[in-house]
Amino acid sequence: MWDRRFLRNIDYYMLFSVLGLVMIGLIMVYSATRANTALNGGDSFLFLKKQLLSVVIGLIGMAVIFFLDYRLPDAAYHVLYGFNFFMLLLVLFVGSEANGAKSWINLGFMSFQPAEFAKLLVILTLSKYLAEKESFSSILDLIPPFIHILPSLVLILLQPDFGTALVFIFFFFAMVYMAGAKGRHLLLVIFTGITVIALIFVCNHYFGFPSVPLKDYQIKRLTSFINPDADPRGAGYNVRQAIIAVGSGRFFGKGLFQNTQGRLGFLPEFHTDFIFAVFCEEWGFLGAFVLLMLYLLFIWRSLKVVQQAKERHGSLIATGIMTMFLFHIFENIGMNIGIMPITGIPLPFISSGGSSMMTSLFAVGYLENIWARRQKILF
Amino acid sequence: MGSISQRTTRVRTAWLLLIVLGLLGVLSGRLFYLQVIKSGKLLKDAEDQRLREVPIEAKRGWILDRNKRPLALSYDADCIYAQPPQVKDPKATAEKLAPLLGMDREKLEKLLAKKTAFVWIKRKATEEEAQKVRQVALPGVEVVQKAQRFYPHGDLAAHVLGISGIDNRGLEGLELQYDSCLRGVPGSEQAEFDSRGLPIPMGEKRYIPPQDGMTLVLTIDEYIQHIAERELERAVRENGALRGCLVLMDPMNGEILAMANYPKFDPNHYNQFPVGHRKNWAVTDTYEPGSTFKVVTAAASLEEGIVDKDTRFHDPGFILVDDRRLRCWRPGGHGDQTFVEATENSCNPVFAKLALRLGKDTLYKYIRAFGFGETTGVDFPGEAKGILQASERIKNVELATTGFGQGISVTPIQLVTAFSAIANGGYLLEPHLVKEIRDNQGRVVKAFGRKVKRQVISEQTAKELTLILRSVVENGSGNRADVQGYRVAGKTGTAQKASQGNYGQGRIASFIGFAPADKPRIAGLIVLDEPTGSSRYGGVIAAPAFGEVVRDVLRYLGEPPKFELESGETQVPEALQEAPNLLHLSREEASKRLKQAGLVPRLIGEGPTVVDQQPRGGALLAPGTTVLLYFDQNAKYNNYRDSLLVVPDVIGLTPEQVRKVLTGLELELVPEGEGRAVGQEPKAGSKVAPGTRVRVRFARAAGEDG
Repeated sequence: MWDRRFLRNIDYYMLFSVLGLVMIGLIMVYSATRANTALNGGDSFLFLKKQLLSVVIGLIGMAVIFFLDYRLPDAAYHVLYGFNFFMLLLVLFVGSEANGAKSWINLGFMSFQPAEFAKLLVILTLSKYLAEKESFSSILDLIPPFIHILPSLVLILLQPDFGTALVFIFFFFAMVYMAGAKGRHLLLVIFTGITVIALIFVCNHYFGFPSVPLKDYQIKRLTSFINPDADPRGAGYNVRQAIIAVGSGRFFGKGLFQNTQGRLGFLPEFHTDFIFAVFCEEWGFLGAFVLLMLYLLFIWRSLKVVQQAKERHGSLIATGIMTMFLFHIFENIGMNIGIMPITGIPLPFISSGGSSMMTSLFAVGYLENIWARRQKILF
Repeated sequence: MGSISQRTTRVRTAWLLLIVLGLLGVLSGRLFYLQVIKSGKLLKDAEDQRLREVPIEAKRGWILDRNKRPLALSYDADCIYAQPPQVKDPKATAEKLAPLLGMDREKLEKLLAKKTAFVWIKRKATEEEAQKVRQVALPGVEVVQKAQRFYPHGDLAAHVLGISGIDNRGLEGLELQYDSCLRGVPGSEQAEFDSRGLPIPMGEKRYIPPQDGMTLVLTIDEYIQHIAERELERAVRENGALRGCLVLMDPMNGEILAMANYPKFDPNHYNQFPVGHRKNWAVTDTYEPGSTFKVVTAAASLEEGIVDKDTRFHDPGFILVDDRRLRCWRPGGHGDQTFVEATENSCNPVFAKLALRLGKDTLYKYIRAFGFGETTGVDFPGEAKGILQASERIKNVELATTGFGQGISVTPIQLVTAFSAIANGGYLLEPHLVKEIRDNQGRVVKAFGRKVKRQVISEQTAKELTLILRSVVENGSGNRADVQGYRVAGKTGTAQKASQGNYGQGRIASFIGFAPADKPRIAGLIVLDEPTGSSRYGGVIAAPAFGEVVRDVLRYLGEPPKFELESGETQVPEALQEAPNLLHLSREEASKRLKQAGLVPRLIGEGPTVVDQQPRGGALLAPGTTVLLYFDQNAKYNNYRDSLLVVPDVIGLTPEQVRKVLTGLELELVPEGEGRAVGQEPKAGSKVAPGTRVRVRFARAAGEDG
């Protein structure tokens, strides 16, 4: 399997964009947490060190994944599928709760989020399944792949982790599309789904029926971005504070370490979900634009992988990973600037958080792996 | 391989790319909107929620008298405030704090539990209270120094100074008129607070220092003001008047030297006085001037040449105007008299005749020229214009009565300003209360000098009129204003007070004058509203008070008294001299000897020979000093009781000034220490007999040189 020419076939654009984003992320995690003694317990480098550890593990994992052929034996996929199901089930029983969701498994020396890894694992098993599926001639052909992701989806919704569930939906559609599902079938499903959900919520709001498995405050949190000023100290608080942080950075930003919204505790989750707002406050529109360009470079190179993968399976893995990242980026930045509902989704490579960082880097390992093996090696 | 072709893959990746670009485009657009278009407002939002501004008040500018003695000053008072978010236990804190400040515990607790970042607990706390609060060091309760207004002389010149509110804002008087100068520019301290409202110790801080207000130097002389208030108070009280005012002006340049009103109030505690007491009615109110206004008719007549001092008149006791009979104040009239005598007698029919001769247009031309019917432009808020009758309503009767000061309403300041024009050779000046405005480095920013509005009468007319007015005091109705050693010119006035369109029983007694007649240094007017004593004539009750003022003020101003010897020459004594011992001398002999020594005799009691004198023989006296000669022991006792002096406030003066002030009041100075006066015994305001010793402690402030 090993070939020295793999090194020459690494996509350095992608690697550059990823390492750039990781560097920015490390700086921002330090900047956001250095002065907050309540959070870091007096060690201003605590979060940087944690993040650095995740980066190192992630990079090692990335290298390992890169060198191993992504085409694993069939049995391995069953193992991965089973392992994922088990972890997601486990977290519901032994998981520790934070922000009203049971998402964490605490191992004592570290804790991790199974749902983060679940995304990558489901992408791998789903792509294997889809690669072997031949025909999408009927709309009913969409059902078996959906059943494939359904157990994971349900378990994640039970945590509840709404954001991650949305990621699943998003990459599911992208993957079946690239696997050959008809565009109009997908559009039909998407619109029907949206209409049904909307109808349920409207009926629930006006008639109290049917019941929605969400609490009032959760609905408020999801919809507050539409008009954050309606309840600036309640549901709209986070969005408002994020928007203030973003806007107050203006064009050039306040400069490194000059963020105030996070440091003074106005902005919640300022080192994880809302780190983009802190970044914008310090680096302004200029910095935000550079960041978006790095993401664009990364996504564009991922699309190249989708296009040029040697065979269907690789292409589908790349599709899943690309859309996973895309959704993360759009949703996270979107909620930071008040155009998407607030869900606990981290910003890839930037947000503080080990599981997310590792998953992201492992996923990059896969993309590079697929890219390096895109052509038959010629002698 | 799957069922999907290479080409389809390319198309579908193109679709995906389109979605990617679309989504990132949306993000960029929104970021541009927030960070470029709306960023200004959002930046302000951010600062609003993390920066709290604590305003730092500018120190309000001082108000000084013309010799730079403070009349209103600002000092830092201890103020106690709380920051409710930092108060851990409002109830316990209130319990501890209430007894220290003498405040209600429940009220205090409410304040401490308020949902604000900042709340005043007590402004103007005493030093002791501040000290205690600092000692107990309750979290969230702090002491800060805040500029406070203080009027060191209490009610002195209070009507002129006005009042300022607790928020460093001028509310009345000069405090209001010059508020923009006095107020200064407040500074601020911005400090950073976190989301829980706690200050960030190492946080961002911005300090904008306040600019202290500018200093006003008034034309008012604290000492002259004191004399004016003292004499006014005495006159109002002795004659049971409702109120009174006294204005003294330098007729040569329009500087107001004193402006006294009675009743008085203390601007340090102004809310303890009725609002009416705060009125500076010398400027804001009008009254009917009565005979004092005859001066205007006289000036017009002399200037127009329809009369000279020797023109003869006959007063049968009334004058017929159209079908009305206007009476002279004196039943039976004054008979044959010259114009000078008519003025001395304040004869109404003569002035009615003059007014009719001048005619409506000419008389009103002069009335307006003298500044009646318009504001004088004095730098004081709320000046009244006075009321002149509408031209079409002035018939002969109205014209005639205007000639002797009825049917017209003027402000005291208007009358003094008009009268000053006679004293200074015919020039109507703009009176003013502020001499200079200085910035906080002491540089003069603006100086107010003599401002001539117009010449009203010729110098010749002014001189002639002065002689006539001098004669009024020397020989006529104003003789009680005469002062030994100083030549006073003036005119009395007694007006009936109009009420509901008719003249009632109330009178307004007044005297207007200037001195010395040949080289005027002060012009002034005293008005007593509704006196109820045995006499209500201006010549009887207002003139003597004016005389007292002239004597003390001119002496204070260093104007040497001139004494007419029997030969008619005047003598100007130079140095102090010994008082002669006059015991057992006859009335005539004692008076003669005193006059020869340049001293003024005041004969008290009935009796052939001097039984006692004050000061005693051998005392060193300044020329012009009054020596009391007692001709019986009872008289001495009575007079002592009547002529108790009010001890002036000398705090802040130099020894030289204190000596001047005290000796001027016939009090004796016992100095202790050097520098400026810091304490005195008896206290200011206490009543003592003439010649009482006043102990004054002097001390030098740290850093003050010489």
